[in-house]
Amino acid sequence: MPMNRAARIAILVAEEAGRRGATIAVVDVCTAAVAALPVGGAGLSAMSPTVASYPLCSTDDISEQLEELQLTLGEGPCMDAFTRQTSVSTADLRGGRAQVRWPVFASAAAEAGAGAVYSFPLQLGAIRPGVLDLYAPTPLDLSPDELADAMGFADSATQVLLGTLTARREGLTIGDGDAPDGYRAQIDQASGMLTAQLGVGIEQAFLRLRAYAYAHGERLSAVAAAVVDRRLRFPPDDEPDRTA
Amino acid sequence: MDEQLLARTFVELADNLVADFDLIDFLRLLTDRCVEVLGAGAAGVLLADRNGELRVMAASDEQVRLLELFQLQNDEGPCLECFHGNTVVTVPDLTGQAHRWPRFVRQARLRGFTGVQALPMRLRNEVVGALNLFSADPGVFGQATAPLGQALADVATISVLQQRSAARSTLLNEQLQTALNSRVLIEQAKGKLSERLDIDMEQAFTALRGYARAHNRPLSELARAFVDGTETLGPLPSS
Repeated sequence: MPMNRAARIAILVAEEAGRRGATIAVVDVCTAAVAALPVGGAGLSAMSPTVASYPLCSTDDISEQLEELQLTLGEGPCMDAFTRQTSVSTADLRGGRAQVRWPVFASAAAEAGAGAVYSFPLQLGAIRPGVLDLYAPTPLDLSPDELADAMGFADSATQVLLGTLTARREGLTIGDGDAPDGYRAQIDQASGMLTAQLGVGIEQAFLRLRAYAYAHGERLSAVAAAVVDRRLRFPPDDEPDRTA
Repeated sequence: MDEQLLARTFVELADNLVADFDLIDFLRLLTDRCVEVLGAGAAGVLLADRNGELRVMAASDEQVRLLELFQLQNDEGPCLECFHGNTVVTVPDLTGQAHRWPRFVRQARLRGFTGVQALPMRLRNEVVGALNLFSADPGVFGQATAPLGQALADVATISVLQQRSAARSTLLNEQLQTALNSRVLIEQAKGKLSERLDIDMEQAFTALRGYARAHNRPLSELARAFVDGTETLGPLPSS
């Protein structure tokens, strides 16, 4: 059976981290995406509906400028990708549609050296920590397969931010791994329950669930099952927030 | 077969495929109707994510035990065979099938199911998922039930392609992703509501859906707003 897309991408990301001699970070997702796709650079911004967004990383000067331009101007494909939670493809930034949608950004981005921009939201239900942007110096049409890969890189960035990326290959295991997702529904349900138990947002609830599993050496799915079965509760003030 | 019930069901499903319909809500309706029309004990719609793993989109029963049974089939089972072989898999009686799918047969029987039928959700040459039916009695499923089951599986495929939030996208991959993400949203919202009201997941789903309908809002959008905290859900319809 051929290796699935997520596993292949996780290994590419892990290899970038290995090359840096560091643990996996979102910059490795960006670097791996640029190596795997016909794009010039990648950048990632942490975004939130409630607090100010900020750039997390970028692979070159142009992608850095693109991230900062959008966050400063408050317009651009990454803003749209975040608001609508769908990917936004702009194969030609100088085209009329881009100019109409983002009059200021489109010109500034072209000036900075971008010809095409593709933005992919990071998402896990209501958890949406940011957006991955890819740019090419000249107009570029990504193929359906390349787009699927790009969405796969966005998924891996979500997993890096949530601490759940697992890469496994001969002689290489990164991340703590979890049950193949037979019990995914319970993890999502438990995260939802913890928002009410702890009075926190969904992303924080997920991180608390994961931190508990890590601290107790248990599988995330096992901890989630205990929460859903009401065998485990997270009192709001009982233990310090280890994920802060 | 009750012809009138059948006709009413397809009219109802078509009526629900209007602008702004909610995919999860629709698929739940479809699985409920599968139970009624096909005499199944339970029905579930599974879609493949972009890694080729089957994920539950809707089930006629939100009980976690049942969801697990569907998901277990990422390892083995009729649904997986149906999906990979692009073919209808009909097993009127699971007795004697333990050699074929040891874990699946054991789990299905533990939950009281003896018959199963899996129908591929096809889009042109690609299989995007499967409609999975279980029955408590042997002999419910056979060659005769397959065409009707397949018609319902085809309606499920159409609904995935028609969903509103991916309307701008012509990419199947993105439409599937949007669908799968909606399912995650619903699970998160169910968890939050079940904790708040001290009710089980099925009751939480029923309450969310009832509220969405009463206020004329798409279920996924309501679920997102509720998890985000921008929607508090006022008085809930009795569940």
